Amino acid sequence: MTLPEPSEIERKLGEYLEDVWKCIRCGFCNSVCPTSNTSRSYMSSLTSRGRLILLQAYFSNILGKSLRDEEIQELMEYCFGCRRCIEICPAGVRIPNLIWRVKQLNEKPRYLRKLILAHYGGLLRLFSKFPRSSNLLLHSDLGKILLELAVGISRKIDFPSFNHSLEEWINKRGESNGSRGRLAYFIDVFTNYHEVELGKEIVEFVEKLGYAVVAPPQREAGTLLLEEGLIEEARRVAKENVESLYDTARGGAKILTSSPAAYLALKKDYPELLGDTKSRIVSESTIDIIQLLLNEYEEARIDFDMSSHDRLAYHHSCFTKASGLTKDIRRVLILAGYNLEELDVCCGIGGIWGMNKKHYHISLEIGLDLFNELRRINLPVASQSETCRIQIKNNALVDVRHPFSFIVDRVKIKKE
Amino acid sequence: MDNYFNKVSRKDVEFLEKLLGTRNTSTSEEELVANSVDAYPGGFHKPEIVVWPESSGQVTEVLRYAYERRIPVYPKGGGTGLTGTVPMYGGILLSLLKMSKIIEVYEEDMQVRVQPGVIYDRLNKELEKYGLFFPPDPSSGSWCTIGGMVASNSSGLKAVKYGTTREYVLGLEVGLPDGRIIRIGSRTFKYSTGFDLLRMMIGSQGTLGVFTEITLRLKNLPEYFRTAIAFFPSVESAVKAVYQIVRRGLDVAAIEFMDEKMMKAVAEYKKIDFPESQAMLLVEAHGSKMAASETMEKCIHVLEENKPIEVRVARDVEEREKFWAARKGAYPATLRLGRYMIISDIVVPLSKLYDAVQKSYELGRKYGVQASVIGHFGDGNLHVHWSAGNDRGKVEDLHRANDELAGWAIDVGGAVSGEHGIGTEKKKFVKQQFREAFDLMLKIKKLVDPKCILSPGIIFNLEEVIQ
Repeated sequence: MTLPEPSEIERKLGEYLEDVWKCIRCGFCNSVCPTSNTSRSYMSSLTSRGRLILLQAYFSNILGKSLRDEEIQELMEYCFGCRRCIEICPAGVRIPNLIWRVKQLNEKPRYLRKLILAHYGGLLRLFSKFPRSSNLLLHSDLGKILLELAVGISRKIDFPSFNHSLEEWINKRGESNGSRGRLAYFIDVFTNYHEVELGKEIVEFVEKLGYAVVAPPQREAGTLLLEEGLIEEARRVAKENVESLYDTARGGAKILTSSPAAYLALKKDYPELLGDTKSRIVSESTIDIIQLLLNEYEEARIDFDMSSHDRLAYHHSCFTKASGLTKDIRRVLILAGYNLEELDVCCGIGGIWGMNKKHYHISLEIGLDLFNELRRINLPVASQSETCRIQIKNNALVDVRHPFSFIVDRVKIKKE
Repeated sequence: MDNYFNKVSRKDVEFLEKLLGTRNTSTSEEELVANSVDAYPGGFHKPEIVVWPESSGQVTEVLRYAYERRIPVYPKGGGTGLTGTVPMYGGILLSLLKMSKIIEVYEEDMQVRVQPGVIYDRLNKELEKYGLFFPPDPSSGSWCTIGGMVASNSSGLKAVKYGTTREYVLGLEVGLPDGRIIRIGSRTFKYSTGFDLLRMMIGSQGTLGVFTEITLRLKNLPEYFRTAIAFFPSVESAVKAVYQIVRRGLDVAAIEFMDEKMMKAVAEYKKIDFPESQAMLLVEAHGSKMAASETMEKCIHVLEENKPIEVRVARDVEEREKFWAARKGAYPATLRLGRYMIISDIVVPLSKLYDAVQKSYELGRKYGVQASVIGHFGDGNLHVHWSAGNDRGKVEDLHRANDELAGWAIDVGGAVSGEHGIGTEKKKFVKQQFREAFDLMLKIKKLVDPKCILSPGIIFNLEEVIQ
């Protein structure tokens, strides 16, 4: 076996090479990493710290394998980019960002998968143009087998149904008059094509608050591309989205999100990928729907009906934690009168990671404690992440919705 | 010494696979490498095989086989050690992570019996249901194991009130190097029956036996906390306040010290504003509402007697968390000073605390490296963070400064390690620390493990044991 020149690999890792050496191997990341919660996580090489030790060993010429080797890449694939480790690492190692760069080195031929993933936003858009036939195909045995063969999505997964896109719906209605200015909705694929009703509810609500909602041309958020190590593709998507949103942001309008992946992409990933002023301005202009509600409350424009005090389970999704939105969501749910049972445990889905045939069973192992607890307490569940909701719904068999859905009926808009 | 141990052969691997199952053994390059270091910034030392026994019986079978075959065995918990307890001579890495059962909670006796691979934080989460806890609180608590804590007698921020792991171990089941199993200690708080083998085992870092079951005494969870921080114009006045708090018998749970350089690093990292000062103390009292409040009132009186620049008392849980976040930010803050940093773990008599800080500064100047000091001053434990920024050329100087401070600590009646252990890192100080008693320690090691198969290279040099 010929090891590739380290300089080539070092170039691929770029500034993240320094993070390899920042790691002090304390193991704090293991304590929050969802992959520490599987039946095989007693093995050090399958843990977050283990992955970092392997990288240190490689660059110290100790590891007798290349980072391109299939076995090493398989271990790197265990990291699904939940980002819980970023918060806890005392040395400030940007673990997921580093691992994405290592995944770039994967040379295993997987052209079809790469091609599909690189264009998944466009494909979903196409499916949503013909929802009835798309749903027929994707829910059929043949469709499931094709999906598994092409992208690796397990045939056991019930892929969510397609609808005509939210973007299309917003644009068809035309821009409403907003006495309080415009909001540009950056939707991301799930709400755009699958949970369209949630999106409509959000749009109608913010219009009642006096905002005009527009949907500028946009692509998928692209988090999935990062997790697959498709950094250049993710950079291209980031650039397109930033270019499209920049004018809105520069004009002083806010960019609205409701998906934690979309929020995280605009807030953190794009400035990191592009490192330019435009992405920074877009980042500064981004606001999540829950933050918007909180602002409205603090400016005394809305109030909450607190007459009922239902119990509600609040699941802290990994991306919500990583984006720092957990506190705001908790606060708004409490303001809306809910008695919260909080569950700060990963459900194991990791975007589409847990839907992958290879990871499907591991994903269920990771989520098992959460599913059992949710079944035990038997309460409706608020979770901000789209794929967490799918995972929880399928495995804990409980009513699970976006936090906004639990709040909207309890909001009282004050008259000017 | 290179050929003293037998290499793990194909036959050995087959034996271990048959004994433990293929899922509980690994010779993959990735797994060997991932087990070749701990949290000490030393080199890589790969084992030849990693095994995960699931019972005491399996541990002793592995030991018996390795003893017969003269293959080294390195027990391992969470791998969070800071002293380089790594497979110096290869052999078998005996991971205890699959022995992670909380066997029984004896609520009325305030005790718990566990397997060695239980994670510290997980144990306390379980004990919370009973209103109990296991107090030592090492900063690695989220991933370190109880077995590892007993092996290195670890402790943390609250040792001034609660003591170290040693004070809580009531009983041990130990697999000896030749495969025999012994049970030492008892489930009573006192006994007077011969040699205290229990204490001999605690802190032995895997050199005398493998702990397969541990019985711990527990404490009631405190019902109330009071926390304050004080800023002083000099290290001397802060240290004087520490001495007076302890001397007056105030029942504090923590007295944490941070010097000016450390405060500066934390202020930058955490974006906190500290008043201009030379030293900071964080003081905490635990107990009933009345007891904790009374203790804190007396502490504040002492702090004020020593003319602080400012004293702040936490008004609520949120503020308490902010105070602790500042203290706990010290480690990450100094990590950001650069890639090259090592931490000392000396412990000195309280009367030598001020001298210890001054000595650190003196050595920092002598070797041209930054010395920032924090410490659990209530129990005389100092962690000097020696930093050379990103200057690789100063790494040797970091070690020289650290070694000289350790030697000084021994000379003034202290010890090279307060809570991290010896491992390979501080081995060179063991003779200096124990002087004549070192020979006795060596004899004990030879008696218990004449072939030196257990953790060779840790605490003792292999040559010293097998000569």
